Amino acid sequence: MKYEHCIRCTICVENCPVFRVNPAFPGPKQAGPDAQRFRSNREKSADEWVLSCSQCKRCEMACPCGVEPAQIILRAQQKYGLEHPHTAAHLLFANNYYLSTLGSLTAPLANRFAATKIGKKIFQRMGIATYIPFPKFSFKTLRGSMKSRSRETRKVAFFYGCFINFYRPDIGRKIIRMLQSFKIDVVLPPQWCCGLPALGNGNLALARSFAGKNIASLSNYVDAGYDVVYTCTSCGLCLLHDYQGIMEIPGAKKIAENSYDLHEYVLKLIAEREIKPQFKEVNRTLAYHIPCHLRALEIGYPAANLMQLIPGLTCQILDDNCCGLNGSYGFKKINEVTALQLGGRAVSLIKKTGAEAIVADCGSCRMQLAGLSGMDAFDPVEIICESLGIKDKK
Amino acid sequence: MSVIEYDVIIIGAGVAGLTAGAWLSEQGLKVALVTAGEPTACLSTGCIDVCAKNDDPLQGIAHLSQDHPFHLVSSGTIRQALDDFQQIMAAMNMPYTGGLENNRRVLSALGTFKTTCLTPVTMQASPQNENERIHIITFAGLKDFYPGYIISRFKNASFSTYDAGVSTTMGIAANFEDESFLEAFILWLEKQQVREDKIAVPAVLGLESAAAIIKQIEYRLERPVFEIPTIPPSMPGRRLFNGLKDHFRRKGGMIYWGWPVVGVEKTGRQIEAVMAQSQGRPNSLNARAFILATGSFVGGGLEAKRDTIVEKVFHLPVFVPGEREAWFDQDYFSMNHGIGRAGIAVDSSFRPVGCPWDNIFVCGAILAHTEALKNGCGHGFAIATGQAAAKSCLEHLP
Ligand SMILES: Cc1cc2nc3c(=O)[nH]c(=O)nc-3n(C[C@H](O)[C@H](O)[C@H](O)COP(=O)(O)OP(=O)(O)OC[C@H]3O[C@@H](n4cnc5c(N)ncnc54)[C@H](O)[C@@H]3O)c2cc1C
Ligand code: SF4
Ligand code: SF4
Repeated sequence: MKYEHCIRCTICVENCPVFRVNPAFPGPKQAGPDAQRFRSNREKSADEWVLSCSQCKRCEMACPCGVEPAQIILRAQQKYGLEHPHTAAHLLFANNYYLSTLGSLTAPLANRFAATKIGKKIFQRMGIATYIPFPKFSFKTLRGSMKSRSRETRKVAFFYGCFINFYRPDIGRKIIRMLQSFKIDVVLPPQWCCGLPALGNGNLALARSFAGKNIASLSNYVDAGYDVVYTCTSCGLCLLHDYQGIMEIPGAKKIAENSYDLHEYVLKLIAEREIKPQFKEVNRTLAYHIPCHLRALEIGYPAANLMQLIPGLTCQILDDNCCGLNGSYGFKKINEVTALQLGGRAVSLIKKTGAEAIVADCGSCRMQLAGLSGMDAFDPVEIICESLGIKDKK
Repeated sequence: MSVIEYDVIIIGAGVAGLTAGAWLSEQGLKVALVTAGEPTACLSTGCIDVCAKNDDPLQGIAHLSQDHPFHLVSSGTIRQALDDFQQIMAAMNMPYTGGLENNRRVLSALGTFKTTCLTPVTMQASPQNENERIHIITFAGLKDFYPGYIISRFKNASFSTYDAGVSTTMGIAANFEDESFLEAFILWLEKQQVREDKIAVPAVLGLESAAAIIKQIEYRLERPVFEIPTIPPSMPGRRLFNGLKDHFRRKGGMIYWGWPVVGVEKTGRQIEAVMAQSQGRPNSLNARAFILATGSFVGGGLEAKRDTIVEKVFHLPVFVPGEREAWFDQDYFSMNHGIGRAGIAVDSSFRPVGCPWDNIFVCGAILAHTEALKNGCGHGFAIATGQAAAKSCLEHLP
């Protein structure tokens, strides 16, 4: 929030994916530090275009002066959200946790509904874009299927996040198997949506209520000597930054200090010589699409370090482009064009690399890129498990 | 404790840091680059200024003041570093033309000429004098680009305006990456019946594919086309940054974004690790040696306090040009502000003078007495000292 430090160099603008394709959005410099000089708490928001910002945080990563345009805009978005009644799409996505719980209990039905013409029409009416298939709800969620084992030295509380829980519990199970193969005790602490979707839809109150519950739950585990491991980069951003930052949740610092990205954690164990995984050959040529929120975690690209250890694997890093979907952002009708243009750009650059498949840490990036390119898209941990011979047995 | 052990860590993602990092990776070392943000290259014209004091850049360097750090780089290394640079950029689809034999001119948006050494291929056809016959294309609504400035100096120039649907350099460049947009633009351009010998376009002809785009327009219009650099957001500057960055990564280098170094761990005469600001656990990375390439004041490597100047990462001793009164010239636009000489003084191994640690090497605009603006030695100096510091680092690696 240090808008006074801005030297107006426009480097943030050069990095803003939305600015590149949406002429109605004035870009991070104007929407952030410039406009901030004129915003006042006593006046109503006059800048509806703040909602066009997807919160990818690329502007923040690029700014040489430590100004945080995305943070400034995020606060303006919350203020706007408070002052304006929410649309159906905003409410739906803010509550995507409840929606997904419901969807996953009734998965076969929900999937059929989302695929039908009527279902699509209703989604369109609600302001939801329908150009890529809506994520499939998975019948057997992770919480319902995993029993934890116990009593080994390293203890991990796995914050798996909504995407794995509702859509890809198979990836969640592989992660648990992998950690257990390293003789780590894994538990699934009680947890709720991280709150980022609610925040992104201007519903700070809902986000804070999720966050408060997560902090309370994780706190018990940290006190009992567990490390928190997350795998969704947006959940990570909440655990590390937003719980302490905009949500101001007491006790959040302790969680941030004890939370690790999955791959960062594995690297740490390798570096500290606690484990010595035997990577077997994987013959693939991959394009590694770096999710915006992985970049924003400021931990480098640990999965890339790990994949470098796999013989036979070629993996080219692409981190200049946002996939355009940004969680629920691209699912909204008003952002559909932006999301499609950005996705198309990202896909054309991926295709230029000649890779046969895509890897990306973020589930929604994979959904977007696989949908637009027709290529397979993997979570890096799927590749790592392939190399370690770890399979998803139910 | 660091998660990964690197051989060398570079601090700063500017032209100097990326050059040093790629060179060391090429030698088989494990290299990471950490950076607070993006470098001054993104604000630049993308042209490589080596030394603009003389038509012959090497002559120009020879005449720089005694204490100028350019004298620490042999002319062989300067030549090698610039050759390597040209090869790298050609492989990244953004070839550079020109050479060390002589400087050349590039037309600016103000209608004046800038002296530089290497230019991106998109500026190869830039006129060398004011008598050349040029037709300028501008874009509806594009700010800070007025053909009138150029026409007032060029007798044989005219212009026409294209409506690209958007009016920012970023937006227009993104459109040019789309084949149907390019085709529509070429069709329109053909209809303009341009009579002049060359066609000038502000530097918005795409981002990744600029070299191919300009080639296609030249082919269809049957005459040379060249870009005129704009004020930031500057596409040629970004293409330069992207090319060097992607090359560094292809050589196996790792980049950590959003990583402003705020502290160090040390034992005896060695720096062990650098630490970044973090909201979670302290982020730290270990290495055997460190290359400081954090730039000058704009880049963020130096900070002027009331009456001192500090180097922000290692708190190295900074050469300060006298008392504060001597820092600034009376004339605001002067090239002679004493503060331009501030920076880190190094010995012939590019290690800081009077530094308590042996495994730090320094390159680029943060070096004392550089005066990049006054001497016209920007990226070229960063490339040369980047490679020279990397060589010395390899030689002295503990
Ligand atoms: C506006 C402008 C236009 C220019 N135009 C041209 C031109 O057209 N042609 C030309 O040849 N030269 C030009 N120059 C000069 C040229 O850009 C520089 O001299 C040269 O590129 C210096 O590069 P560098 O790598 O030393 O540093 P910089 O480019 O300054 O990069 C410094 C890097 O270090 C990072 N950094 C700073 N502090 C920290 C920290 N504490 N921790 C981690 N990272 C940190 C920064 O984020 C940045 O990435 C221009 C300069 C400016 C300011
Ligand atoms: S916010 Fe940062 S990157 Fe953007 S114009 Fe200001 S200083 Fe430059
Ligand atoms: S967060 Fe992303 S979309 Fe929003 S202003 Fe910054 S770069 Fe643009």
